[in-house]
Amino acid sequence: MKSPFASILDALTRQRGVRASLVVDENDGIVVDSNLQIGQDGDRVAALAASLYRKARLSARAARLGTATFMQLEAQRGRICAAGRNDLVLVVVADPAANIGMIRVEMIKAAGGLP
Amino acid sequence: MSITAVEPWVEIPLRKFVEEARTVLGLLLHPSGQVIAQFGFARAVDVMSACALAAAIHASAGELGKQLDGKPFRGLHHPGRDRQLFLAEAATPRGTFIFLTVFDQESSLGLVRLYFDEFGKSLAAAAPPAPRRVEPVLEERFEHELNRNLAALFGRG
Repeated sequence: MKSPFASILDALTRQRGVRASLVVDENDGIVVDSNLQIGQDGDRVAALAASLYRKARLSARAARLGTATFMQLEAQRGRICAAGRNDLVLVVVADPAANIGMIRVEMIKAAGGLP
Repeated sequence: MSITAVEPWVEIPLRKFVEEARTVLGLLLHPSGQVIAQFGFARAVDVMSACALAAAIHASAGELGKQLDGKPFRGLHHPGRDRQLFLAEAATPRGTFIFLTVFDQESSLGLVRLYFDEFGKSLAAAAPPAPRRVEPVLEERFEHELNRNLAALFGRG
């Protein structure tokens, strides 16, 4: 049986260079649903990315910047992107060559559809 | 945060866990309820009662898991309003230990589970080989050993 997040995750995973897409509970850092390529450790990414996103969101609020809409982390061999709504966070792990503009648009659109 | 351990090989893995998982309280104990290490506790009496409760919860959850699932549950999580509790087993060459930790909004269940897995592996790697003959914890010695361990942790001989 498909979860209510399957279509969101499928749309994100179809983007070129996306290695993993996950819906994560922001407070618990636990995976709600995911599409992972072989070799991706979903639990680990979920726990750390949710913690990072939560801190980024709190930092934005502390700096009076309003609601955080999108977070991007650039690393040597790829990127982690996160966008959230209510208690859920969408997390994408992508290659360095991925079209981050398209991924960002898809993620913000998809985050808007999270319950 | 102050970490105290009865067995010194426990200290480095435990310190790493505390630094990474950012939990506020922690206890490592034998399934019998004997404390091995602690962090975040200020009073020996709190450690003593937490150890007794953790050992009892672990025993009950293990038995419940056996009845429901054919094997003991691997971990237990209780969310509270401000603080949450995580309790799980760590297997080492010295035997199985129970680990109990309490965390607040600085951490999350995902992070605690993640770093607990790493803690379990480092603990198993750091553990010296088990003694050839393991003495059972006898009822008549239990209190004496408990008091000895608490004295070692809280510096009262």
